Amino acid sequence: MSQIVTLEQLKQTLGAKLAAGAKVVAPVLDGEFASFKEIADVEQASFVPRICMQNSIEEFFFPKHETIFTFVRQGNDVVLNDAPDFDVEQIVVGARPCDAAALPVLDPLFAWDYDDRFYQRRRAKSTVVSFACTQSDAHCFCTAVGGSPENTHGADAILFDLGDGSFEVRAITDKGKALFDGKTTESDKVGKACDAPVVNFDVWKIADWIRANFDSPVWEQVSLRCVGCGTCAYVCPTCHCFDIVDEGSYKKGKRVKNWDSCQDAMFTMHASGHNPRDTQGKRQRQRLTHKFVIYPDKFKFYLCTGCGSCSRSCAQMFGVRPCLEALDKEVQ
Amino acid sequence: MENELRNAIRELLEKQEIDVAIGYGRVGVDGAVGAVFVTSPDDVEQIVWNDECRQNLAVHLTRPEVKAFGKIGIVVKPCDARAVVVLANEAQVDLDLLTIIGVVCSGIKRAKPDGTTADEYYAKCETCVQHTPQNVTLVVGDVAEGEALDAKNEQNAATAGNNAKLAKLRAMTVEERFAYWREQFSRCVRCYACRQSCPMCYCNRCVADKNRPTRIDTSASLKGNFAWNILRAFHLAGRCVGCGACASACPAGIELDLLNLTVSDAAKEHFGFVAGTEFGVDPLIGTYADDDKEEFIR
Ligand code: SF4
Ligand code: SF4
Ligand code: SF4
Ligand code: SF4
Repeated sequence: MSQIVTLEQLKQTLGAKLAAGAKVVAPVLDGEFASFKEIADVEQASFVPRICMQNSIEEFFFPKHETIFTFVRQGNDVVLNDAPDFDVEQIVVGARPCDAAALPVLDPLFAWDYDDRFYQRRRAKSTVVSFACTQSDAHCFCTAVGGSPENTHGADAILFDLGDGSFEVRAITDKGKALFDGKTTESDKVGKACDAPVVNFDVWKIADWIRANFDSPVWEQVSLRCVGCGTCAYVCPTCHCFDIVDEGSYKKGKRVKNWDSCQDAMFTMHASGHNPRDTQGKRQRQRLTHKFVIYPDKFKFYLCTGCGSCSRSCAQMFGVRPCLEALDKEVQ
Repeated sequence: MENELRNAIRELLEKQEIDVAIGYGRVGVDGAVGAVFVTSPDDVEQIVWNDECRQNLAVHLTRPEVKAFGKIGIVVKPCDARAVVVLANEAQVDLDLLTIIGVVCSGIKRAKPDGTTADEYYAKCETCVQHTPQNVTLVVGDVAEGEALDAKNEQNAATAGNNAKLAKLRAMTVEERFAYWREQFSRCVRCYACRQSCPMCYCNRCVADKNRPTRIDTSASLKGNFAWNILRAFHLAGRCVGCGACASACPAGIELDLLNLTVSDAAKEHFGFVAGTEFGVDPLIGTYADDDKEEFIR
């Protein structure tokens, strides 16, 4: 037996959460663009499983721009005020399995040498409901990094679109159970995800090649068409680099945390003017090495869920999958 | 035409007139078209020409990695050719090291958000009247029947005020227009993909990257985003050629083409200036006229 929820029941469940003051994040359509947005009304959302999204759910855990504290000068003193804690319940619905899977990848990072209370609070306050994929495209490669179209890693519940205006609900965690408690009905219908995307390269072997070929000219060759725009990093559910800057004047201002990307030449620019990563080949090497060597060495996860957003968004038709495929040619 | 292009490039490489040819090839996922850098006559088969050749390859001309090749041959569409002219007029490329291979173009199909090709042309192509590239070393392809009058037509229709979206924007009240850009800019994530994809944004250190002191907020806050997008639009006045590379690259789907069109239109309306139509022209924002109507500049 399975548990199912109709679209109407799903909307009511989320509507009740909104009415109770929760923050609800869901896919919103704008012309042909779909992106995750905070919604004020359930009717704004689109509950159709989609793989092409303009952003990932990451920004609702690690926002693109966030205040750490504010400061104000009073006489000879400077008064600091911590930014308030994130203190509402948050429901993120409609995540792709490869979006949800990014959260357990990021968890150890934000709790490693420093407990990032901003991320931790949002994580603790959130329930993530993913949609099992109903289609994959040529950019998807979740299969190569341990995922699948029905991967539940990072999700509190996963919904399978039954194609008749209802979803099979599989609660994964207590939070997921609590969200759908009493909202579902028993059924004999069982949901099914699409077939796993076909991948013909081995990330493990490529990672070994990366370890051994730091100085290979291949990096420059494969990266020639990359213009260093960083779009790949900004749409990525796992990329997490940030910059800390002060804004305002010496009298009054704030310290903020902003997204950043290793694809930007300024990222490694020293005050002396020397830049250790002065070409795009070196910057791509950094991106791939971080994702497939450095991060797994440290945290046991690839820093990539194979979502394909990077290559889907890249106007130069590059991104991680094309780069891995190019490197795969070097693996003998 | 594709073969004609390959033959032209093969000959240039064989005669060593160029060290590298920057063209289009099927390099991406599912054979999506992007830039290829061909250094050997044996590899010219990689080069393609079709209605999916979207990128403005001129963006590569100022990159140190690409300059290092030496003598460069670059494939340009008529709109992209204007970007090369602006770069030359701003002393960013050495024309002696450049072979500009212009391709006759009858329009490029728009890319959908998932990278696949839509069954529709870019707006810039819908209004384009210049299908034969100007100011190039050689032209590949023939002017199709009925398009022969192009050269006589007003140049640069892509930046003329005949874009329906622009007309709609113009018709808005100031408040409506402000609300429109407010919504658009609120989505900006400050990745600077617009800048990196633009042939004209070649500064080694963009003012957005100045941090001693900071010139504009680097935060993706509404204030920071307004500052960034307006600053960039101003810096492109009389320089933007309307290629649309910035809008294609923007992950937030902001209508940057529209923003730049308004500024190009102002350059045309007030100064009669259209970017990239002629070599040897001084840049609009680098010059002033003795008879300028504004006093402060005289
Ligand atoms: S891979 Fe593509 S999206 Fe990433 S920096 Fe390079 S050009 Fe931009
Ligand atoms: S690197 Fe690309 S495929 Fe991997 S998680 Fe990031 S956006 Fe997805
Ligand atoms: S601003 Fe945009 S449209 Fe104008 S030249 Fe630069 S990339 Fe092309
Ligand atoms: S490409 Fe788009 S999102 Fe990125 S900085 Fe430019 S306007 Fe903002």
